[in-house]
Amino acid sequence: MATGTRTQREGTSVAVAERSRPTARETWDVVVWNDPVTPMKVVVVIFKRIFGYANNRCTQLMLTVHHEGRAVVWTGARERAESYTAKLQAAGLRATVERSGE
Amino acid sequence: MSGRLFQRRRDGRVEVRLNEIGRAVVRDAAERIVRAERGEDGWSSSLRLPIVPERDDDDPLRILERDAAVTTQAELVRVTVDEALLSADEAWAWLVTLQVALRATADETGLVGDDEWGRAEAGVRERVEGLQMLLWSLADCL
Repeated sequence: MATGTRTQREGTSVAVAERSRPTARETWDVVVWNDPVTPMKVVVVIFKRIFGYANNRCTQLMLTVHHEGRAVVWTGARERAESYTAKLQAAGLRATVERSGE
Repeated sequence: MSGRLFQRRRDGRVEVRLNEIGRAVVRDAAERIVRAERGEDGWSSSLRLPIVPERDDDDPLRILERDAAVTTQAELVRVTVDEALLSADEAWAWLVTLQVALRATADETGLVGDDEWGRAEAGVRERVEGLQMLLWSLADCL
């Protein structure tokens, strides 16, 4: 009985740990939104400066924003996503953070 | 404002070729942003967009990070607005300050899409196109 109880408790704690693990690894997207006035060239320069991406990638992301209305420009841990978004907003772009997959 | 408004030099600095009208546009943009950060200008709401819209409140550290960057850049523009040559960091401050001003102007005048752009008053169009012209030329140098 005692052994059984111990096993049951251990099993419960393992189950709790496994349930919380995906939350800890949850990723967040930095989303940039289209607006009708920002020159395309400016968006490319800002992406290059903030993320250090190559020209081609910056241009591709800018075109996605332009044609689809939004683009996920970075995915990762929440704190870094928020920090990148603060930098993008300070550079004058319309950017937000959302959970990946939303 | 005609020809190249900014020119990148071989030493990496950016030459400012604006006349007094062009510099006045840049000065006005920087001053309005500084005032807006203090809550004294209609651009304030445009400068304070949510970072994580699904949450009720954003992390105060992120808000501070953003607001401090906006103000620092605008202050740097104010003190360099009469310069003939800009360092790369100063040119970056000019670019983002003008971009913040452009977006705030669009928000303030309701330019949220192509339809609104088509209906915009001539004065608003002129202001927006002036800022865009400065941004195009400056982005070429960065």
